[in-house]
Amino acid sequence: MQIGSWSRALTLAIGAVFLAACGGGGQTSANLASPDKQILRANDGTEPNSLDPTQQTYTYERAVAIQTYDSLFRAKADSSDVEPLGAQSFDVSSDGLTYTFHLRQNAKWSDGKPVTASDWVYGWKHLLNPALAAGYVDPFFDQTIAGASNYGSVDTTSASAVDAYLNGLGLSAPDPNTFVVKLDHPAAYFKWVATLWMAAPLRKDVIEQAAGGAFSSTDTTKAEAWANNAATIIGNGPYKIKEIAAKDHITLVPNPNYWAAAPKLQQITYYYIADGNTAYSQYQTGALDIINVPLADVTVVRGDPKLSKEAKLIPTLSQYWISFNTKEAPLDDAKVRLALAKSIDRDKLVSDIEHGNGKPLPTFIPKGMPGYDPSDNAQSFDPAAAKKLLADSGKAAQLAKMKLLTRNTTGNKTVNQFLADQWQTNLGVTIQLDVVDSKTVTGQHLRKGVFDIYGLDGWISDYPDQQDWFDIFQSGSCHSLNWGCLNIPGYDALISKADAESDKTQRAKDYTQAQKMLIDTAVVAFLYQPYEYDLVKPYVQGLTVTTTDDQYLPGDSRYNQAYITQH
Amino acid sequence: MRGALLPSQLRAITSTRSGALTIFIVRRILWMIPILFFVILITFTLMHLAPGSPWDKAGGRQLSDTVINNLNIRYGLNKPVAQQFLLYIWSVVHFDFGLSYQYQNKTVSGLLLESWPYTATIGLLAFLLIIPVGVGLGVLAALRQNTRIDYITMGFATVAASFPNFVIGALMVVVLSVLAYKATGGNFYLPAAGFGIDDSLIMPVVTLALLPIAYTARLTRASTLDTIRQDFVRTAWAKGLPERLVVIRHILKNSLIPVVTTLGPTFAFLVTGSVIVETVFSIPGIGRAFVVAIESRDYPMILGTTVLFSLVIAVANLVVDVAYVFIDPRVRLT
Repeated sequence: MQIGSWSRALTLAIGAVFLAACGGGGQTSANLASPDKQILRANDGTEPNSLDPTQQTYTYERAVAIQTYDSLFRAKADSSDVEPLGAQSFDVSSDGLTYTFHLRQNAKWSDGKPVTASDWVYGWKHLLNPALAAGYVDPFFDQTIAGASNYGSVDTTSASAVDAYLNGLGLSAPDPNTFVVKLDHPAAYFKWVATLWMAAPLRKDVIEQAAGGAFSSTDTTKAEAWANNAATIIGNGPYKIKEIAAKDHITLVPNPNYWAAAPKLQQITYYYIADGNTAYSQYQTGALDIINVPLADVTVVRGDPKLSKEAKLIPTLSQYWISFNTKEAPLDDAKVRLALAKSIDRDKLVSDIEHGNGKPLPTFIPKGMPGYDPSDNAQSFDPAAAKKLLADSGKAAQLAKMKLLTRNTTGNKTVNQFLADQWQTNLGVTIQLDVVDSKTVTGQHLRKGVFDIYGLDGWISDYPDQQDWFDIFQSGSCHSLNWGCLNIPGYDALISKADAESDKTQRAKDYTQAQKMLIDTAVVAFLYQPYEYDLVKPYVQGLTVTTTDDQYLPGDSRYNQAYITQH
Repeated sequence: MRGALLPSQLRAITSTRSGALTIFIVRRILWMIPILFFVILITFTLMHLAPGSPWDKAGGRQLSDTVINNLNIRYGLNKPVAQQFLLYIWSVVHFDFGLSYQYQNKTVSGLLLESWPYTATIGLLAFLLIIPVGVGLGVLAALRQNTRIDYITMGFATVAASFPNFVIGALMVVVLSVLAYKATGGNFYLPAAGFGIDDSLIMPVVTLALLPIAYTARLTRASTLDTIRQDFVRTAWAKGLPERLVVIRHILKNSLIPVVTTLGPTFAFLVTGSVIVETVFSIPGIGRAFVVAIESRDYPMILGTTVLFSLVIAVANLVVDVAYVFIDPRVRLT
């Protein structure tokens, strides 16, 4: 409730002179602000729907969870591999089916108790409990953990059925420092699944105490009784929750029992400011240290001598595209799809519509990930070739009857109007926009296949492994992720092989071949890789900005290494 | 049969004015029960007719069919709609408004209690601003009709009524927050967001109050002009009563009747929250929570908020009707 007053007290100190605007990070104790000033205030945008990491789905929820819970691994700063977090190392059996995680010996919970392998088993079972219906559970039951694949057929009203399912999972704790996961199929990417934030350990004793004793595995209310109370959210991450101010902010303070060196930031406050313009005003009046710049203000910030120096343009591991309903004519014809893809000027799209916040990219895998290869120009902008393709197909008249399904948001309408103009100018085809309520797009149109062309569609990396991307376009994903439902001959088998392949070179080769299939058949029209444009006050130092950070919170994967300088 | 009244007792009570008032209030409160039932019925029906499910996301990664199926079981959405409705009514009768779909394991009543105090504080302050400012400006304009004061007041009222409050809110933030911060080096400015019992209340309260102030001022002016021309006012002047007495006792008391009528709904409007004001100033109030609930199809939260709003409106109207009795003795309680 008192945010108004304390933020003011703090801003009084900010006004004067910016002493340390150097970005080098070579701090000395002289310019380090005193511990009571080591406070970072950022905007998370939306309140998490749950503070139990296993029950989360959204990035704004992850932002809190990665500070309060460590998963087994995290991505290295350059995304090239995983690095230890909750686990120190792991072994894979020669058949690729058994993962043995050697846990960090000195890891402790925020209440001082040691983190044991049984806490990991308990947390993962909580995640995989079908009665709780966790939103992000798919990577754990879909062709991975042994015994998990019948997740969807468990009778979630029967405690014995749920118990039988959970006890049959390939999760075990042979000793307090060893967590063993058995898989159904070899999955070369499973180390990356172990970086996902919802795969956290949980404390059975704390959860049961909050529930008032042991409870049935089908009792969803008791299972989550702990998760709305700062006192019972005992985590193993670098920070712990000090205060939950519903809908307004959350305050994190260092976990004194964390295994790594004590962080310099003594407090992190995440506000839940939904309106980007409000956050921007708060940044300008010194009430926030880090924000995401609203698209409407990007040009102003770029032209402002002071603000432009505080801005960071950060690539994300994401890619946008336009989906085609390949189950209907004329979009079942690859020539028509390629004609549409080749008549979009992506440079103009990024510079005019996205104000430069992105990288034009007519290929699939975004820059910064293994597999990035912009050399395939099958979808590159070429109006003459596009016109020829459409003429060859002889389906220009049919194409003019197609509509572009558009979400009723300003951003989406602007982009889609641009695309329609491009097709009009470069292809001579008029395609109307079909604007519908955002909320009904998925249920009423995409899942049912009731659309012609749909965009912007896209993908944000869960982890920087290609499996996460290529699985999207498997035919089994028709009407779930692969909205266009194109079935490319040989693609499914190739991806299943690559996903399981332990030979890195062969695996990369398979994915390269798959990427060519996707681009050349124009499964979708690839457009651009979005970048985030954030503002960071010059006195926030020691940030390691990586592509796996939250888009609103650059550097948040390693905030425990950041600090505030005197200002 | 404690509490039941004998016909003779009933007559005795209704024969007095305060007794009639009690019966009137009790009857109106009892009427709220069927009203609330129909509010729930209509909201429930519309909610389920609206396309989109609570588990569809507006963008990005979608939940898998397997997970959606399990969520429907977890929240009872796999049951027939009629059964869901009866179960809901049954729990409401027990003052249980269920669990939110969006916020895990949070009760709807808890969520309402969490956000309503913010909205109510701002709404109440705005209301307290409307009565003196709106009524004052209206009376002033009427008493000084066709003078500069009248033109300025009514000009202000017209401007305030025509600007949407997201424009006013955003403008105030730019001027009083961002520009003031820059101009004074951060020594004097109003906070652009947040809630506290301090200067952060100024901009949201003013933004919220402007439109009702303008409306009340115009209404008060019209009604006061009407009253001024009445015979009894002329008589009061003719008797040689001082202006203060004429204005307060004769003009104001009569001209305020239509104003009081609108103050009830205005109060209800203010304390049920404004999504725009709450978004622009990032106030964790109920107006925003309601819109978020509708967007995410959080059925129990939508129903709970609607019930709360209906109650507030019903009570506000009841208070207005009771207030009539005291302002205007001609009002009959039937």
